[in-house]
Amino acid sequence: MRTGVKWMKEQAKNDRLKHDESRSGLNLVMVCCIILLIGSVSFSAGYLFGAGQNNPQRCAGMTVIDDLGRNVTLNKIPERFVSLASSVTEVLFAVGLGGRVVGVDDFSDYPQEAKNITKVGSFNLNYELIVSLKPDLIVGADITSRQQISELESRGFAVMILAPKTIHGILQDIRLIGLVSGNAEKAMNLANSLSARIDAVLLKTSNASLSRPRTYLEYYPYWTFGPGSFGDDLIRMAGGSNIAMNATISYPMVNDEWVIQSDPEVIIYTVGSGTSTTNETIKARPGWSQITAVKENRIYSIDDNIVARPGPRMVDALESLAKIIHPELFR
Amino acid sequence: MNPLAKRKGVLFSLLILILFATIVISVMIGTTGPLLGAGGEPQMGMNEFFSALLGGDSETYRTIIREVRLPRVLLAGLVGCGLALSGCTMQAIFRNPLADPYLLGISSGGAAGAALSMFTGLKGYEGVTLPLFAFLGGLGAVFLVYILTWTTCRGRIKMEILLLAGVAVGSFFGAVTSFLMYAAGMQFRYLWFWLLGGFTSTSWDKVILAYIPIMIGCVCICIFARELNALLLGEEHAMYLGVNVNTLKRVLICIVSLITGVCVAFSGIIGFVGLIIPHAVRLLLGPDHRVLLPASCIVGGSFLIWADVIARSALASGGVEVPVGIITALFGAPFFLYILIRRRRW
Repeated sequence: MRTGVKWMKEQAKNDRLKHDESRSGLNLVMVCCIILLIGSVSFSAGYLFGAGQNNPQRCAGMTVIDDLGRNVTLNKIPERFVSLASSVTEVLFAVGLGGRVVGVDDFSDYPQEAKNITKVGSFNLNYELIVSLKPDLIVGADITSRQQISELESRGFAVMILAPKTIHGILQDIRLIGLVSGNAEKAMNLANSLSARIDAVLLKTSNASLSRPRTYLEYYPYWTFGPGSFGDDLIRMAGGSNIAMNATISYPMVNDEWVIQSDPEVIIYTVGSGTSTTNETIKARPGWSQITAVKENRIYSIDDNIVARPGPRMVDALESLAKIIHPELFR
Repeated sequence: MNPLAKRKGVLFSLLILILFATIVISVMIGTTGPLLGAGGEPQMGMNEFFSALLGGDSETYRTIIREVRLPRVLLAGLVGCGLALSGCTMQAIFRNPLADPYLLGISSGGAAGAALSMFTGLKGYEGVTLPLFAFLGGLGAVFLVYILTWTTCRGRIKMEILLLAGVAVGSFFGAVTSFLMYAAGMQFRYLWFWLLGGFTSTSWDKVILAYIPIMIGCVCICIFARELNALLLGEEHAMYLGVNVNTLKRVLICIVSLITGVCVAFSGIIGFVGLIIPHAVRLLLGPDHRVLLPASCIVGGSFLIWADVIARSALASGGVEVPVGIITALFGAPFFLYILIRRRRW
């Protein structure tokens, strides 16, 4: 209750701030942040007092800022969700909204229940179907194109984009979904427990004296994670040193010579729907027998979906990678 | 020997020299040096390069030179050679400057085969599934075109019908590929890059597998140089000169399809080489196929080796590889236009 009161005070303070800021026409980003804060604070406060859910009037016209910096205005707590990305579907289910998801994109396959939900398309959306599903909120991701967003908005739908850039961004998005959906408590708990698990890994892997094995993580034969990608983030957090951390682009294609020159001490490849890579195909690549990881047989596989999808399971990926890169820390 | 023939002889020997220089220099280029090294450790110097080439003691250098770079350079050369020769032959038998090795649907058939291989359970472009499917798809498309023409023309091979059937079958397989890529979902991106062509991972096995059919095919086509010259006069005149035009076309189409099918299987669909190299060589050395065919081989090989050098070293400091199909058109087209303007004749 005490925190609740504190939040209320904060809200009042921010409210005043917001007026001052907007009147003086200062930094737009600042205003957006404040609106987001107000939105979240008022919402969670409302939830904590048990009023938010029963009284939609209370949060009428709530506006939040999504990951693209867009204003998303909701007139009531959304009851029917459509997800446009598998990562979003995983977030919605993790926050306990599985029963309220009425449509998902073609690639949503986790959790199991998501497979039975109406598929609304992927690169091409079936707008007619989406309209017939009567969603209150459509949640997209970075694969959702600007054109698709405006197409949906022109039909009067609220569209929110979750496009986190870091693993902590995923936690932010989980909280945001919790707030707009009225499932704040579950979302906060989830975000907190994920955060605690991340911290537990970081606590072990951020020791300055720790060795940082050169790591090559590929999500498709010869395609790896460069700077600014989740894979790069995960390797660093797991206590490794990504051999592609200085690549020119975020998702580069590499070649034999470069990998041999970089001489990774750990090689990790993904398994799943996309590839048929095995330890044997890795060893059989031209010249790879010279690589330290191959000589020492430190070749591992990891589920491609948990590395590639910015959802709650990315924390599983972090834990797996940390155990692969630093087995001595997790005995 | 007249001065013109002498000049052509000199030019031809120069081209052979360029090919050898290309092979030697391109093997020196790479992220680990000695030429155009991209920084980072380790970097080899000239001495280390030659000792590695001759089997020196640094195992890493030896592996990079002999098992990574050399096969890659040779495969690029082989594919360039095969595509340029196929293009040259197609332009001759169709008597059409726009003809290229992919005219009869090999590229779209190969692409459909590659896309289909993603649904076989043996996904990814490692292993034999994808090249095999691409090869069979390409040949399947040509076979279909050929059978269609053969039945339509009652045993004769009419070039207009062949061309139209090629375009139709090509569009059909193009649609099949698009649908399969769409259905493959997230994986379509990698398939798309595979289709753009490249030599990302080349082992000696691939070089040997590609070497035999491409070399045999090239020699066979060069044997028919005189007949192709006769064909330039038109089918009727060629027949008066004693050329069995129908058989000639049949045999050449078979050989060209085989060569191109192998190229597609090992390197994806590399555009531009088969279309432009024969024209460039024709501008330099004239239309005599006895010179034109081998010269196209040499120039095509050298050109694709250099395109691949750019593909693997343009962004090499960031460890990034560019699909070679992008490079061939990006650098090849201006280069060709330059020759065209310089020569001012067609």
